[in-house]
Amino acid sequence: MSHDDIQHHVKTYIKVFMALMVLTLLTVYASYVDFDLAPGFKAGAIFVGLFIATVKGALVATQFMHLNNEKKIIYWVLGLTIVFFTVCLSIPVLWDSNLIGDTNFEQSPPKIEGGHH
Amino acid sequence: MQIPYNEELRPDTGLYNAKLGIWIFLASEVMLFGGLFSAYIMLRVGAPVWPPLGTAQLNIPMATFNTVVLITSSVTMVMAWASLKMNNFGKFKMYMGLTLLFSAMFLVVKYFEYSAKLSHGFTPAHDTFLAIYYTMTGLHVLHIIGGMLVNGYLWMPGSKMWESNPERFTNRIEVAGLYWHFVDLVWIFLFPSLYLL
Repeated sequence: MSHDDIQHHVKTYIKVFMALMVLTLLTVYASYVDFDLAPGFKAGAIFVGLFIATVKGALVATQFMHLNNEKKIIYWVLGLTIVFFTVCLSIPVLWDSNLIGDTNFEQSPPKIEGGHH
Repeated sequence: MQIPYNEELRPDTGLYNAKLGIWIFLASEVMLFGGLFSAYIMLRVGAPVWPPLGTAQLNIPMATFNTVVLITSSVTMVMAWASLKMNNFGKFKMYMGLTLLFSAMFLVVKYFEYSAKLSHGFTPAHDTFLAIYYTMTGLHVLHIIGGMLVNGYLWMPGSKMWESNPERFTNRIEVAGLYWHFVDLVWIFLFPSLYLL
Protein backbone atom coordinates (compact mmCIF):
# COMPACT_ATOMS: atom_id res chain seq x y z
CA MET A 1 0.00 0.00 0.00
CA SER A 2 1.51 3.33 -1.07
CA HIS A 3 1.77 6.49 1.04
CA ASP A 4 -1.00 8.09 -1.07
CA ASP A 5 -3.26 5.07 -0.54
CA ILE A 6 -2.88 5.42 3.23
CA GLN A 7 -3.55 9.17 3.03
CA HIS A 8 -6.74 8.36 1.16
CA HIS A 9 -7.65 5.78 3.85
CA VAL A 10 -7.09 8.36 6.60
CA LYS A 11 -9.53 10.75 4.92
CA THR A 12 -12.09 7.94 4.80
CA TYR A 13 -11.54 7.15 8.51
CA ILE A 14 -12.35 10.76 9.43
CA LYS A 15 -15.54 10.70 7.33
CA VAL A 16 -16.60 7.37 8.88
CA PHE A 17 -15.91 8.78 12.36
CA MET A 18 -18.22 11.73 11.67
CA ALA A 19 -20.90 9.41 10.28
CA LEU A 20 -20.67 7.16 13.38
CA MET A 21 -21.08 10.16 15.68
CA VAL A 22 -24.16 11.38 13.80
CA LEU A 23 -25.65 7.87 13.77
CA THR A 24 -25.03 7.50 17.54
CA LEU A 25 -26.97 10.70 18.21
CA LEU A 26 -29.66 9.53 15.79
CA THR A 27 -29.99 6.22 17.68
CA VAL A 28 -30.51 8.06 20.96
CA TYR A 29 -32.97 10.51 19.35
CA ALA A 30 -34.90 7.66 17.68
CA SER A 31 -35.31 5.92 21.04
CA TYR A 32 -37.42 8.87 22.23
CA VAL A 33 -39.65 8.85 19.12
CA ASP A 34 -42.87 6.89 19.43
CA PHE A 35 -42.81 4.23 16.72
CA ASP A 36 -45.39 2.08 18.53
CA LEU A 37 -47.85 0.39 16.23
CA ALA A 38 -49.97 -0.42 19.30
CA PRO A 39 -49.61 0.35 23.03
CA GLY A 40 -46.77 -1.66 24.50
CA PHE A 41 -45.77 -3.00 21.08
CA LYS A 42 -42.17 -1.94 20.48
CA ALA A 43 -41.50 -3.58 17.10
CA GLY A 44 -41.12 -0.25 15.27
CA ALA A 45 -38.62 1.16 17.77
CA ILE A 46 -36.65 -2.11 17.84
CA PHE A 47 -36.48 -2.19 14.04
CA VAL A 48 -35.28 1.43 13.78
CA GLY A 49 -32.76 1.04 16.64
CA LEU A 50 -31.25 -2.16 15.28
CA PHE A 51 -31.25 -0.85 11.71
CA ILE A 52 -29.12 2.17 12.72
CA ALA A 53 -26.85 -0.13 14.78
CA THR A 54 -26.43 -2.41 11.75
CA VAL A 55 -25.43 0.56 9.55
CA LYS A 56 -22.89 1.63 12.20
CA GLY A 57 -21.58 -1.93 12.52
CA ALA A 58 -21.26 -2.22 8.74
CA LEU A 59 -19.22 1.01 8.62
CA VAL A 60 -16.84 -0.24 11.32
CA ALA A 61 -16.48 -3.68 9.67
CA THR A 62 -16.02 -2.45 6.11
CA GLN A 63 -13.85 0.61 6.74
CA PHE A 64 -11.91 0.14 10.01
CA MET A 65 -11.60 -3.65 9.68
CA HIS A 66 -11.09 -3.36 5.90
CA LEU A 67 -13.72 -5.98 5.10
CA ASN A 68 -14.56 -4.04 1.93
CA ASN A 69 -11.33 -5.36 0.44
CA GLU A 70 -10.27 -8.64 1.99
CA LYS A 71 -9.09 -12.08 0.92
CA LYS A 72 -11.58 -14.79 -0.03
CA ILE A 73 -10.77 -17.10 2.87
CA ILE A 74 -11.83 -14.44 5.41
CA TYR A 75 -15.19 -14.03 3.65
CA TRP A 76 -15.65 -17.83 3.84
CA VAL A 77 -14.85 -17.90 7.55
CA LEU A 78 -17.25 -15.02 8.23
CA GLY A 79 -19.95 -16.42 5.94
CA LEU A 80 -19.96 -19.66 7.92
CA THR A 81 -20.04 -17.67 11.17
CA ILE A 82 -23.06 -15.69 9.97
CA VAL A 83 -24.93 -18.95 9.25
CA PHE A 84 -24.33 -20.28 12.78
CA PHE A 85 -24.96 -16.84 14.33
CA THR A 86 -28.34 -16.67 12.55
CA VAL A 87 -29.23 -20.16 13.83
CA CYS A 88 -28.19 -19.10 17.33
CA LEU A 89 -30.38 -15.98 17.25
CA SER A 90 -33.29 -17.97 15.79
CA ILE A 91 -33.41 -20.37 18.74
CA PRO A 92 -35.74 -18.08 20.77
CA VAL A 93 -38.24 -18.31 17.89
CA LEU A 94 -38.73 -21.94 18.93
CA TRP A 95 -39.85 -20.69 22.34
CA ASP A 96 -43.55 -21.04 21.47
CA SER A 97 -43.21 -24.69 20.57
CA ASN A 98 -41.59 -25.46 23.91
CA LEU A 99 -44.09 -26.89 26.41
CA ILE A 100 -41.69 -27.26 29.32
CA GLY A 101 -42.89 -25.04 32.13
CA ASP A 102 -46.08 -24.10 30.28
CA THR A 103 -48.73 -23.68 32.98
CA ASN A 104 -51.54 -23.81 30.39
CA PHE A 105 -50.48 -27.25 29.28
CA GLU A 106 -53.73 -29.15 29.91
CA GLN A 107 -52.49 -32.68 29.79
CA SER A 108 -51.29 -33.88 33.20
CA PRO A 109 -47.65 -34.81 33.36
CA PRO A 110 -46.90 -38.51 32.81
CA LYS A 111 -46.75 -40.64 35.95
CA ILE A 112 -43.45 -42.18 36.81
CA GLU A 113 -43.99 -45.86 37.38
CA GLY A 114 -41.87 -48.21 39.37
CA GLY A 115 -40.76 -45.60 41.82
CA HIS A 116 -40.46 -46.29 45.54
CA HIS A 117 -43.06 -44.70 47.85
CA MET B 1 12.27 -22.66 15.02
CA GLN B 2 10.93 -19.47 13.49
CA ILE B 3 7.20 -19.13 13.01
CA PRO B 4 6.59 -18.80 9.27
CA TYR B 5 4.58 -16.13 7.41
CA ASN B 6 4.85 -13.32 9.94
CA GLU B 7 5.49 -10.73 7.28
CA GLU B 8 5.38 -12.40 3.90
CA LEU B 9 2.00 -13.64 2.69
CA ARG B 10 1.22 -17.33 2.71
CA PRO B 11 0.67 -18.38 -0.93
CA ASP B 12 -2.50 -20.42 -0.36
CA THR B 13 -4.39 -17.91 1.84
CA GLY B 14 -2.85 -14.68 0.56
CA LEU B 15 -2.51 -13.52 4.19
CA TYR B 16 0.11 -13.50 6.92
CA ASN B 17 -0.75 -16.18 9.49
CA ALA B 18 -1.72 -13.91 12.39
CA LYS B 19 -4.38 -12.20 10.29
CA LEU B 20 -6.18 -15.44 9.47
CA GLY B 21 -5.72 -16.45 13.12
CA ILE B 22 -7.37 -13.31 14.52
CA TRP B 23 -10.31 -13.61 12.11
CA ILE B 24 -10.94 -17.22 13.17
CA PHE B 25 -10.71 -16.07 16.80
CA LEU B 26 -13.16 -13.24 16.10
CA ALA B 27 -15.53 -15.75 14.49
CA SER B 28 -15.53 -17.68 17.79
CA GLU B 29 -16.14 -14.40 19.61
CA VAL B 30 -19.17 -13.71 17.42
CA MET B 31 -20.61 -17.03 18.61
CA LEU B 32 -19.78 -16.27 22.26
CA PHE B 33 -21.65 -12.96 22.18
CA GLY B 34 -24.24 -14.51 19.84
CA GLY B 35 -25.16 -17.02 22.55
CA LEU B 36 -25.69 -14.18 25.02
CA PHE B 37 -27.75 -12.14 22.54
CA SER B 38 -29.84 -15.26 21.99
CA ALA B 39 -30.34 -15.59 25.77
CA TYR B 40 -31.29 -11.89 25.87
CA ILE B 41 -33.97 -12.38 23.20
CA MET B 42 -35.21 -15.50 25.02
CA LEU B 43 -35.55 -13.62 28.33
CA ARG B 44 -37.15 -10.64 26.64
CA VAL B 45 -39.82 -12.53 24.68
CA GLY B 46 -40.52 -14.71 27.73
CA ALA B 47 -41.13 -11.74 30.06
CA PRO B 48 -44.61 -10.25 30.45
CA VAL B 49 -43.09 -6.75 30.78
CA TRP B 50 -39.63 -5.63 29.57
CA PRO B 51 -37.67 -4.37 31.36
CA PRO B 52 -39.26 -5.96 34.45
CA LEU B 53 -41.13 -3.66 36.84
CA GLY B 54 -38.98 -2.33 39.68
CA THR B 55 -35.69 -2.87 37.90
CA ALA B 56 -32.89 -0.29 37.69
CA GLN B 57 -33.13 2.65 35.31
CA LEU B 58 -30.04 2.58 33.10
CA ASN B 59 -28.13 5.82 32.60
CA ILE B 60 -28.53 6.73 28.90
CA PRO B 61 -26.32 9.88 28.90
CA MET B 62 -23.44 7.91 30.49
CA ALA B 63 -23.83 5.08 27.98
CA THR B 64 -24.03 7.55 25.06
CA PHE B 65 -20.84 9.20 26.28
CA ASN B 66 -19.20 5.76 26.48
CA THR B 67 -20.33 4.96 22.93
CA VAL B 68 -18.68 8.14 21.68
CA VAL B 69 -15.52 7.32 23.67
CA LEU B 70 -15.29 3.77 22.30
CA ILE B 71 -15.90 4.82 18.68
CA THR B 72 -13.21 7.50 19.07
CA SER B 73 -10.80 4.87 20.43
CA SER B 74 -11.50 2.75 17.36
CA VAL B 75 -10.56 5.68 15.12
CA THR B 76 -7.34 6.40 17.05
CA MET B 77 -6.48 2.68 16.83
CA VAL B 78 -6.82 2.59 13.05
CA MET B 79 -4.87 5.89 12.86
CA ALA B 80 -2.08 4.24 14.90
CA TRP B 81 -1.83 1.52 12.24
CA ALA B 82 -1.99 4.08 9.39
CA SER B 83 0.83 6.07 11.06
CA LEU B 84 3.10 3.02 11.01
CA LYS B 85 2.21 2.40 7.37
CA MET B 86 3.40 5.98 6.71
CA ASN B 87 6.61 5.30 8.69
CA ASN B 88 5.67 7.78 11.39
CA PHE B 89 6.49 6.07 14.68
CA GLY B 90 5.96 9.24 16.75
CA LYS B 91 2.37 9.56 15.56
CA PHE B 92 1.82 5.87 16.24
CA LYS B 93 2.87 6.42 19.85
CA MET B 94 0.47 9.34 20.15
CA TYR B 95 -2.54 7.56 18.63
CA MET B 96 -1.93 4.33 20.58
CA GLY B 97 -1.60 6.38 23.78
CA LEU B 98 -4.93 8.06 22.98
CA THR B 99 -6.53 4.66 22.36
CA LEU B 100 -5.42 3.54 25.81
CA LEU B 101 -6.65 6.79 27.35
CA PHE B 102 -10.11 6.40 25.79
CA SER B 103 -10.22 2.73 26.87
CA ALA B 104 -9.48 3.79 30.45
CA MET B 105 -12.19 6.47 30.22
CA PHE B 106 -14.70 3.82 29.15
CA LEU B 107 -13.80 1.70 32.19
CA VAL B 108 -14.05 4.64 34.60
CA VAL B 109 -17.56 5.53 33.33
CA LYS B 110 -18.54 1.85 33.57
CA TYR B 111 -17.23 1.75 37.15
CA PHE B 112 -19.47 4.69 38.13
CA GLU B 113 -22.39 3.09 36.33
CA TYR B 114 -21.96 -0.26 38.06
CA SER B 115 -21.32 1.21 41.51
CA ALA B 116 -24.43 3.43 41.28
CA LYS B 117 -26.56 0.36 40.55
CA LEU B 118 -24.95 -1.94 43.09
CA SER B 119 -25.15 0.64 45.90
CA HIS B 120 -28.95 0.66 45.45
CA GLY B 121 -29.16 -3.13 45.65
CA PHE B 122 -29.51 -3.64 41.92
CA THR B 123 -27.36 -6.76 41.73
CA PRO B 124 -27.46 -9.36 38.93
CA ALA B 125 -29.76 -11.47 41.13
CA HIS B 126 -32.40 -8.70 41.26
CA ASP B 127 -34.18 -9.67 38.03
CA THR B 128 -33.59 -11.23 34.61
CA PHE B 129 -32.93 -7.86 32.94
CA LEU B 130 -30.13 -6.98 35.34
CA ALA B 131 -28.77 -10.54 35.13
CA ILE B 132 -28.34 -10.32 31.35
CA TYR B 133 -27.22 -6.65 31.57
CA TYR B 134 -24.36 -7.47 33.96
CA THR B 135 -23.42 -10.64 32.05
CA MET B 136 -23.22 -8.98 28.65
CA THR B 137 -21.64 -5.69 29.71
CA GLY B 138 -19.34 -7.54 32.16
CA LEU B 139 -18.05 -9.82 29.41
CA HIS B 140 -17.58 -6.74 27.22
CA VAL B 141 -15.61 -5.00 30.00
CA LEU B 142 -13.34 -8.09 30.27
CA HIS B 143 -12.70 -7.76 26.53
CA ILE B 144 -11.81 -4.08 26.99
CA ILE B 145 -9.34 -4.99 29.77
CA GLY B 146 -7.82 -7.75 27.61
CA GLY B 147 -7.44 -5.33 24.69
CA MET B 148 -5.86 -2.71 26.94
CA LEU B 149 -3.25 -5.21 28.16
CA VAL B 150 -2.26 -6.11 24.59
CA ASN B 151 -2.36 -2.49 23.38
CA GLY B 152 -0.39 -1.36 26.45
CA TYR B 153 2.29 -3.97 25.71
CA LEU B 154 2.47 -2.91 22.05
CA TRP B 155 2.61 0.76 23.06
CA MET B 156 5.52 0.38 25.48
CA PRO B 157 7.83 -2.68 25.66
CA GLY B 158 6.51 -4.37 22.52
CA SER B 159 7.17 -1.29 20.37
CA LYS B 160 10.90 -2.08 20.36
CA MET B 161 10.15 -4.45 17.50
CA TRP B 162 9.66 -1.40 15.26
CA GLU B 163 13.47 -1.00 15.20
CA SER B 164 14.28 -4.64 14.44
CA ASN B 165 11.32 -5.68 12.30
CA PRO B 166 8.97 -2.81 11.35
CA GLU B 167 6.79 -4.83 8.99
CA ARG B 168 6.06 -7.51 11.56
CA PHE B 169 5.32 -4.85 14.19
CA THR B 170 2.89 -3.10 11.81
CA ASN B 171 1.13 -6.44 11.29
CA ARG B 172 0.85 -6.87 15.07
CA ILE B 173 -0.84 -3.48 15.33
CA GLU B 174 -3.23 -4.41 12.53
CA VAL B 175 -4.20 -7.64 14.32
CA ALA B 176 -4.64 -5.84 17.68
CA GLY B 177 -6.72 -3.24 15.82
CA LEU B 178 -9.02 -5.87 14.32
CA TYR B 179 -9.73 -7.15 17.84
CA TRP B 180 -10.31 -3.63 19.14
CA HIS B 181 -12.76 -2.77 16.34
CA PHE B 182 -14.63 -5.97 17.13
CA VAL B 183 -14.98 -4.88 20.78
CA ASP B 184 -16.35 -1.56 19.48
CA LEU B 185 -18.72 -3.42 17.14
CA VAL B 186 -20.15 -5.47 20.03
CA TRP B 187 -20.81 -2.27 22.01
CA ILE B 188 -22.58 -0.71 19.01
CA PHE B 189 -25.21 -3.49 19.36
CA LEU B 190 -25.18 -3.71 23.17
CA PHE B 191 -25.92 0.00 23.57
CA PRO B 192 -29.36 0.11 21.86
CA SER B 193 -30.32 -3.42 22.95
CA LEU B 194 -29.80 -2.81 26.67
CA TYR B 195 -30.16 0.96 27.11
CA LEU B 196 -32.52 2.26 24.46
CA LEU B 197 -35.01 -0.37 23.33
